[in-house]
Amino acid sequence: MFKKKAPKEAAQTVETEQQADVLSETEERADLLVDVQQMSKIYNEGQENEVRALDNISLEIAWGEFVCILGQSGSGKSTLMNILGCLDIPTYGTYYLNGQPVSELKPSVLSGIRNREIGFIFQGFNLIPALTALENVELPLIYRGMGRDERRRLATEALISVGLEKRMEHRPGEMSGGQQQRVAIARAVAANPPIIMADEPTGNLDSASGLEIMQLLQKLNEQGTSIILITHDNHLAQMAKRIVTIQDGRILSDRPVQEGVGA
Amino acid sequence: MNWLQTIRMACKSIMNNKVRSILTMLGIIIGVASVIAIVAYFQGGTKLQRLQYEAMGVNRIDVSGYGAKSRDWEDFEEYLDTELADKVAAWSPQSQYYDWQSNGIQYRSQKLTNENSSTYMYFGNQDYGEVTSRTISVGRDISKSDCDNRARVCVIGETLQKYFFGAMSPLGQKLRIGGKSYEVIGVYAGKYGGKINTEDQLIVFPYTLQNSMMSMGGMMDKQYVIKAASKEDIDELTETLLPGFMQSRCESGGGYFSAYSNSQWQEQSEASSNMYAMLGGGIAGISLLVGGIGIMNIMLVSVTERTREIGIRMAIGARKRDIIGQFLVEAAVVSCFGGLIGIVLGCFLSAILGNLLLMQQMQNSYMPSIEQFTVLPSFGLIVGAFLFSALLGIIFGLYPANKASNLQPVDALRTQ
Repeated sequence: MFKKKAPKEAAQTVETEQQADVLSETEERADLLVDVQQMSKIYNEGQENEVRALDNISLEIAWGEFVCILGQSGSGKSTLMNILGCLDIPTYGTYYLNGQPVSELKPSVLSGIRNREIGFIFQGFNLIPALTALENVELPLIYRGMGRDERRRLATEALISVGLEKRMEHRPGEMSGGQQQRVAIARAVAANPPIIMADEPTGNLDSASGLEIMQLLQKLNEQGTSIILITHDNHLAQMAKRIVTIQDGRILSDRPVQEGVGA
Repeated sequence: MNWLQTIRMACKSIMNNKVRSILTMLGIIIGVASVIAIVAYFQGGTKLQRLQYEAMGVNRIDVSGYGAKSRDWEDFEEYLDTELADKVAAWSPQSQYYDWQSNGIQYRSQKLTNENSSTYMYFGNQDYGEVTSRTISVGRDISKSDCDNRARVCVIGETLQKYFFGAMSPLGQKLRIGGKSYEVIGVYAGKYGGKINTEDQLIVFPYTLQNSMMSMGGMMDKQYVIKAASKEDIDELTETLLPGFMQSRCESGGGYFSAYSNSQWQEQSEASSNMYAMLGGGIAGISLLVGGIGIMNIMLVSVTERTREIGIRMAIGARKRDIIGQFLVEAAVVSCFGGLIGIVLGCFLSAILGNLLLMQQMQNSYMPSIEQFTVLPSFGLIVGAFLFSALLGIIFGLYPANKASNLQPVDALRTQ
């Protein structure tokens, strides 16, 4: 339902010196899910301890892709993920998500985008310990203002789709790491967002559980959800369809994965 | 996100931390309970005092004068009956009979002298019972024809009835006072439980008997008891109308005139009692404030502890106002719940304090006997206390909530 949204209107609100250019670019951008142009993220700019976490990055991701952002610790991949996930804003450059100029939006609008367009999966699961699995999955739907019955139905469906129909009333502390991550996936997909962003989703899991999670992500991708996977694990990266390697805040390479290499 | 959902979420997080929540509430509980108990105690005191005053006569004005001629007093009575008819509900002359010889009251061989207890002996007219808020329990009151005919009759109080007659009917019996017999025609219902040495130990004669009983000649001190038609008329009567008519006549004869009502005392003492209630409530209110600060303290700790949770909530779409709402509602729910417990506790406390107050006041001979008396906080006080505690929660929750909502999602998520 979100994929049908025309990005034109949002884009038109952006004023630039070359209005015509922007408009013609917008036509092209219509198919783009993520459109990052010359983006930098600089901490403590101009000071001695200046850190260029991201340095002039340009990246385009189309609908339905399964992209892996591969990089070592300190490469800037988490910063990229935070910006792509609308948790942080770039210092320079532009970032359009689904046609919306993220770098210029107010925090409350960004909250809405995170809520509707993005499903997050974190390394540390990031479930709220006091809530049951079902309640955790319901949470983003609550913030969307969805009614109780519909919310419960969607959350239940999501939990069933990750195979946790018997764990709905359990709290995170009562579940294994793999189960917790599956709850997190259910939370991410419950509202059917166009993008899933997964930051080292298997980092805290044993290899069997990790594989299960990756297979779930692949399945989601097959169903049409765009997936951005962030990892340092080259082997894991092979399960994506495209690998963007990042090092020292710059894109080192951007290549498709040959069929059959990863899986 | 709707409020119901927010409140449900707040209750959940409070239940997850029961001990801490109860400790947080404790300040509010103690504060609300003490404010309610103290204010209710003073309100109860005011109520008891009002009962005492009302027992003496509702809207009662006591008039006394000396120095005027008896024709002036006749004019005065006519003035009460005609021009003041709509401001005066009833009036009666009143004078007290003092049994100087201490012969006491005698019924057959039984005697009641003033040696160990004093009997109030009054002269009044047919309205005497009404102006002093007395009702007849047996027989009849003094009538106009009793007064006109100088009938040797009397109405007695419950104490005398019990003392002389016990379970026997007193009607038609004769009491001997000062060597003469008076027929008992009625009994006034007891207002003070028929106890000795209270106003229930009284006997009332038609006022026309007073000359024959007291053998006083010449100019006399005159007293009246007047019942004003309404509370609002009291001030006008005592300050302008009554003195305006009689003061100069009394003073020209070298005497004096005064009209006073205990309603003024009553108002004054109620005002001072209210002031004490405010003062006491205010001091107790300080503990409420301390309770509020306690809430703020705990909420700040809670925000720090739950930074990661806040980050998660923001990551999945909570807006700033959702976070503010969550913490504000949590603070308000804690303080409202504390307030509710405090109100219940305060009601118990005021009932206990009210009983102590009543026990203490019952020693007082002017304290009417009361069937049932419970000091309970007024509805307004309860609602006020509840709203105030909710307000406290919101005020003291504001800073922590704002702090929580100003966290950056990236930073909050990074916290362990």
